[in-house]
Amino acid sequence: MLKNIQEWLLLLIIFGVTSLLGNWIGYDIMPLAAAPGMLVLVLVCLAGFILHRLIPIEFPSVAYIAIIGVLISMPWMPGSDYIVAWTNEVQLLALTTPILAYAGIAIGRSWTDFVRLGWRTIVVASLVLIGTFLGSALISELILSLQGII
Amino acid sequence: MSSGMGSGLWKDWRLHALVLITVLATEAIGTYSFTIGPGVVLLLPMLYALIIGLILYFTPIVKERQSKNAEPIIVLGVALLLAKIGVIIGPSLPQLIEAGPALLLQELGNLGTILLALPVAVWLGLKRETIGMTHSVAREPNVGLIMDKYGISSAEGQGVMAVYIFGTVFGAVFMGLISGFLATVTPLHPLSFAMASGIGSGSMMAAASGSLIEAFPDLENQIVAFAGASNLLSLSTGLYISIFIGLPLTEKLYGVMTRNKKG
Repeated sequence: MLKNIQEWLLLLIIFGVTSLLGNWIGYDIMPLAAAPGMLVLVLVCLAGFILHRLIPIEFPSVAYIAIIGVLISMPWMPGSDYIVAWTNEVQLLALTTPILAYAGIAIGRSWTDFVRLGWRTIVVASLVLIGTFLGSALISELILSLQGII
Repeated sequence: MSSGMGSGLWKDWRLHALVLITVLATEAIGTYSFTIGPGVVLLLPMLYALIIGLILYFTPIVKERQSKNAEPIIVLGVALLLAKIGVIIGPSLPQLIEAGPALLLQELGNLGTILLALPVAVWLGLKRETIGMTHSVAREPNVGLIMDKYGISSAEGQGVMAVYIFGTVFGAVFMGLISGFLATVTPLHPLSFAMASGIGSGSMMAAASGSLIEAFPDLENQIVAFAGASNLLSLSTGLYISIFIGLPLTEKLYGVMTRNKKG
């Protein structure tokens, strides 16, 4: 467990530093200004992974992480103003760029499977994604406008 | 997350250095957009990063080991992304609760996949692989469901794997391109598309909502909160919707369509 925590922490820090530099180049936020927010996010992840290990039920670690994030930033939570102000300095898109850079290197191994898919599969798979996206958007539109939210 | 994660991944400096260089280069290039008719297509740094990563894989700089090591690190990156989404959802919690009914019901929008893709698959002459392909968006839980019910080497299993591979390789790029375009070309509200972005895959959600943020920067926090909450709901309810509604509906519609074809 301790060895795992060390491994997670080191990887989160490497990922965090890469994101902070991307956050600087792409969104003009100085790494030192965004560092407290990144530290909060790293600690939330670490807490989520540890809870996932300690609690013996089938519940994904990413769900713990999201829930902890919500709890510490709720308006009713003391100190949430700081959490929100710090993490605001870490742009969402600065986190997604390194994710997809790692993903690109990882999916290289699926590329040969990908090129073997026929054109009919490509057409149907595209419609699968468009179908769920438009379907969900239409239902949301209907209900949000019925409620008068949009 | 714990399973399959070897120790010493942090020592793969070649991998981390390549990612860092890719990130700095793509962020320096920044976002480009172009218009097709009334719609806007956004090219975000994350999309270049995916493509550069893929190209790197085919150069001698990246060895098989880097590619294997990269996989569990994606999970860590998605964990950080979800922590960030969590702290955006927190302050917007009152609004999200207000939008609760829409959030819950739009999960049924996944069935749009069946209505749109199944007839085309049958029309293109695909057989029972249609059922695996079109019953859902074919992320990990759905692949498990089909494998469990029909077997790995069945036509249905091959169908779900084909869409899964397409989604893995091309899903984020595809969602990033269509979400900005559809949100600018259709009269639907960006927040409806934000909810639709949460289809149960971290990278597809990031790409889809990322394009929405670039197209509608004023709504950034609301877009992220709605997309993130919807993605969490998809992760937790998606499988049940497939089991109880999606898959039976697919079977039924496939039966009806192929019968009509023969008769």
